[in-house]
Amino acid sequence: MGQRVLAVYSHRCTGCRLCEQWCSWQHHGAAGGPARSRVSVHRDHHRQRNIPVTCSQCVKTPCIAVCPANAITRDPATGGLLLDAEACIGCRLCLESCPRGCIKMDAEAGVPLLCDLCGGDPQCVRHCPEAAIMFLELDAVDRGYREHRLAQAEEAAR
Amino acid sequence: MTGSDGLAGRILRVDLTRGEVEHEPTPRALFERFLGGRGVGAHLLFHELARDTDPLGPENKLIFLTGPLVGTLAPGANKITVTFRSPLTNTYSFSLCGGHLAPELKFAGYDGVIVEGQSERPVYLWIDHGRAELRDAGHLWGRLTHDTEDAIRAELRDPAVRVAVIGPAGEKLARFAGIQADYHREFGRGGAGAVMGAKRLKAIAVRGAGAVGVADPAGLARLAESIYAALAEHPKARIRRRYGTPEMVESTNALGYWATRNFSTGYFEDADRLQGVRLREQVYIGDNSCYGCPIACGKISPVTAGPFAGTAIEGSEFETIGLLGPNCGVADPAVIVAATAICDAYGLDTMSAGAVVSMAMECFERGVIGPAETDGLDLRFGNGEVLLALVQAIAERRGLGDLLAEGSRRAAEKLSAPDLAMHVKGQELATYEPRGVVGMGLSYAISPKGGHHMIAPTMAAETAGDPTRRWRPDGKAQLVRDTQLIMAVVDSLTLCSSMRFVLGLDDMLALYRAVTGQAVDEPAALQAAGQIVNLERLFNVREGFRRRDDTLPRRLLEEPMPTGPSAGHVVPLEVMLDEYYALMGWDSDGVPTLERAQELGLEAEWRQAIAGRE
Repeated sequence: MGQRVLAVYSHRCTGCRLCEQWCSWQHHGAAGGPARSRVSVHRDHHRQRNIPVTCSQCVKTPCIAVCPANAITRDPATGGLLLDAEACIGCRLCLESCPRGCIKMDAEAGVPLLCDLCGGDPQCVRHCPEAAIMFLELDAVDRGYREHRLAQAEEAAR
Repeated sequence: MTGSDGLAGRILRVDLTRGEVEHEPTPRALFERFLGGRGVGAHLLFHELARDTDPLGPENKLIFLTGPLVGTLAPGANKITVTFRSPLTNTYSFSLCGGHLAPELKFAGYDGVIVEGQSERPVYLWIDHGRAELRDAGHLWGRLTHDTEDAIRAELRDPAVRVAVIGPAGEKLARFAGIQADYHREFGRGGAGAVMGAKRLKAIAVRGAGAVGVADPAGLARLAESIYAALAEHPKARIRRRYGTPEMVESTNALGYWATRNFSTGYFEDADRLQGVRLREQVYIGDNSCYGCPIACGKISPVTAGPFAGTAIEGSEFETIGLLGPNCGVADPAVIVAATAICDAYGLDTMSAGAVVSMAMECFERGVIGPAETDGLDLRFGNGEVLLALVQAIAERRGLGDLLAEGSRRAAEKLSAPDLAMHVKGQELATYEPRGVVGMGLSYAISPKGGHHMIAPTMAAETAGDPTRRWRPDGKAQLVRDTQLIMAVVDSLTLCSSMRFVLGLDDMLALYRAVTGQAVDEPAALQAAGQIVNLERLFNVREGFRRRDDTLPRRLLEEPMPTGPSAGHVVPLEVMLDEYYALMGWDSDGVPTLERAQELGLEAEWRQAIAGRE
């Protein structure tokens, strides 16, 4: 079995932000709050859309490549990101480098909030009532998009 | 400051007259006594407002409050209350808003915001994680709610800011103007938007980055998990999730208690076009959730008619559909969605908007008003185009719309047709036709904020089992009282009422205990609820409200319902009212007795309320 990744299907997201709550809970307990979650649900009021933004476990990781302190590594077991907080200089280059804009700063600790996949049991996935975030092998991540595109095409043809 | 009891620790007090903001420590003792939101608001409004405060004057206040559960893992704890004296009813009033505003305020470090005074120029309040300031809103005055939100997010350079805002209706003091939040959530009822307009406060924008500490984190997490599991299995929660609040259309109409054509009857022959199942198939294009709630009852509907065609709204909700739809004789979902979009954009309560239009339609059909008064509009029941035109006119206060913006009671009096206004204390009734479910008649009559359905929503209990029970008065006083007390707890915990699908009183208190560490049990919570309900009553007693005001439109008391499954029935109000007052420990005029006030620790308030009024 290959490593799994977070797959986001924003067309399913209702914006309840349980993912934010439980991500933060997993890493910081009650002291977290959504501000310290590794997932953020962006709300587009105009288009009435909710867009969860998570780490996508890039094959080539720009955050690791760009880090001048070599503070970010990949957990070989899960593929999640690990931060050496002692080594991190808090320069925020990783925030800029992330193609999804998913990385936030932990204002208290002065370090980036990186997705460690909760050690292989991502809490955002576990708590999403809509399956808008799933934990899938790479060869299955396409299916949710196809579902959406085909539904859109059908709608347009109607 | 932030502790481990669910409170952020500070209240923001905003004096618009002086243009100043101040921080106050959260009155923790009040939150312990009254739980939060509605309860604390009732206490503060009673004590901070003098008798005879002009609802649209600088002395009225807008008291925004959350509760300890908000911003924690507690599911569905996402409500914020605003408490104020209503310009529609002159009573105590409060309104609740879901969405994401309440948790954002907590994350910004505040349990509440008290707005007082009156600004000379339009301003908006910007609350940025522990700091607050008033900013010029001259360029925003006159703009629609969504435009205003967009402009504020643009000028603050942050798309994630949460914004509560009034539209032109609130600026122009329409007495049932609401406050919109994040496009499609609102403090709908009672005219809080007009109070905000009178204060020249255009908006409140909030950004927070903090967290809410709790007493028993592990216990709270376990409770949250068990509530998600229960909601996922519960039949009512499941259909609410699929169809939204319009899931209630079918049963409400099938039993003949869905207000139709200005409460002429309780059965709408075209209701099947508005059933949740039909809306899911033909209208909804998506679902929205409030913060921390897995139900996602918000249904996204594209607007296909009217001035906002091409946009989408969240809704229309069941009550909105009832009052803008069947109560105006309209069965076309596209018209109802378009009318909702106008109300949202201008900042009007959709329920009262529908009710004033239906009142005007009945006036037109009876010849009370004619084409001269309606600017030529053919204002007959069922005319959807005219409905949209009139809602727009109300929103802009043009022509007949200017009169209707005063609310149905004032407008009907002006038109010399007071019996055609379907209201209690000036607040337009909700969509449950009480001749078909008489406990709701009592509930409307005794509501401290005028005719409202969520003070004691008894319809489900009244219609379960024996099919004749819903028309009979026996047991209804008790049912209304018990439901009213539970709702006082729910609203004070600032939980969404939908959580009642799976949470009994003790389950809610388990959440409260886990968050606050306070050992509150059912008797203690019911005592607090009794204090809240009586404080609300005493506010109104202080303003002169008595039994004569706890009544219903004459039609509902005297004219048997003409058609449908509840045909032949009226609301036997007086007998229920006598029994209800006795159960509450109120005298025959609806005033709490001194003994009752003493039991509740409200003797000082009682003395204030009755002084000089006997």
